Amino acid sequence: MYIIPQIETPVSENYLVFEENLINLLETIEKSGLNVNDKNPEKHFPDLILEQNFGVNGLVLCSDLIKRGCGGFKTAYAFSMRDKNRISILSDLITLKQIGIKDIIVSEGLHPSKTEFKTAKPVYDIDVLGFGLTLKSRLMSDFSDSNGNNDGDVTCNNIDNIGKFDFFNFGVVSGMTSFADVLKVKKLIKIGADRIILNLANRTDYSAENLEKPLMIDIINNIKSEKKEVFLYVKELSIGYSLEDFLKKVENLNIDGVIVKIIDEKANVFIHKALK
Amino acid sequence: MFLTEKKDILEIDESLKKYKKIGIIGCASCASVCLTGGSKEVADMERHMTAIGKDVTFTISIDEPCDKRVLKEDIRFVEDEIKNTEAVVVLSCGTGVQTIGEFIGKKVVAGTDSKFIARTEHIGKYDALCGGCDECRLNFTGGVCTITLCPKGLLNGPCEGHNGINCEVYEDKECVFIKSYELLLKYSEEENLNKIFNPRDYGKLAVKSSKI
Repeated sequence: MYIIPQIETPVSENYLVFEENLINLLETIEKSGLNVNDKNPEKHFPDLILEQNFGVNGLVLCSDLIKRGCGGFKTAYAFSMRDKNRISILSDLITLKQIGIKDIIVSEGLHPSKTEFKTAKPVYDIDVLGFGLTLKSRLMSDFSDSNGNNDGDVTCNNIDNIGKFDFFNFGVVSGMTSFADVLKVKKLIKIGADRIILNLANRTDYSAENLEKPLMIDIINNIKSEKKEVFLYVKELSIGYSLEDFLKKVENLNIDGVIVKIIDEKANVFIHKALK
Repeated sequence: MFLTEKKDILEIDESLKKYKKIGIIGCASCASVCLTGGSKEVADMERHMTAIGKDVTFTISIDEPCDKRVLKEDIRFVEDEIKNTEAVVVLSCGTGVQTIGEFIGKKVVAGTDSKFIARTEHIGKYDALCGGCDECRLNFTGGVCTITLCPKGLLNGPCEGHNGINCEVYEDKECVFIKSYELLLKYSEEENLNKIFNPRDYGKLAVKSSKI
């Protein structure tokens, strides 16, 4: 099973110290054998996911980690549609390309009313489908012509260009508890998503029966039948029991790995396991 | 109907502190329905203005103050009084306030806060169903607007935060995409289930005074 830690960029901590700790964490994980890609040895998944929330700019950290000679560790950059419009996203993508980051993970993002910034205006300029569509078929160029007019069609009838631009491994976080999620995942695959990350983070019950629901298994198998990668996304604090026990519960699912959101790079389930 | 709520009276008083001769204009349409600008609210405002020592020069309810044609007709009844007025309290939505301000060329003070285009369940219970986005997708969604009813205004499916039934933000409400899915199945519109929507064209919204 391939396990990837995901962490938000630091808010108050010095980012250089944070990076040192991250490198220690990655070395610990490597030694503990948690990120062994036994199912897909030919694939090189990210070793770490840096999530942009309201902390230090994630692009700076991605760049800095590479400069520090951590080339052996592959970092993915995660951001949400809540915080960036298409212009800002394009700027990020250009930067990512230049610093050599190929893996991106996008989500719609937690609504500001559920964060400590309750009065903030969320962006949601485009949704993850719209982002993927423009990323994979238009390289984020605008839908309008040189005169500022678009074709007036609200639906996308032409996806012939999908895959024309393949600069990034495009991962998307999705729900997996309704048929509306099944449809969304199908659309994501259609527009060229490379990875689907199924969100378990808002669940509090990780009992076996909750982890083996027919709908969830169907979604996973549909993704795999399209030869796309699929990961589960959990928060370490929500697991409720040991990481090993959780991994045992999901090892029979047809997934490529598990992304574990950690809060602290110095004290987390990975360090805890290593200490044991 | 466009929903409005009464403004804090202290804000209105503060805005009028430099002025003595005050006119009051109500809206006999939307603001009247939501009890913020009908004849009763105009009379209430008149009593308040008198109580704080203002001279009320006129009161009037205009059928649709947002319609310049109607405004032009109705305002004639208080033409002379307006000349003798320093400021006008307008009990209507922001469109009415601005239309009146531009038309009479006097200081106008908004007496309400403008909310949204609303469906009236009953007096005091209103719902926002349409955001006037200029690109109506109701024909493809089973007749529910995901832009207005989803707090994130998404187009192409639910966010990752719902719990299988309810919305991440409005936890007591069904996720609009799940509702849309059920309606499309009910109407046998399977062809719309897999539709992918282009990102919204906000350029259209930038030109709000377009001719139709």
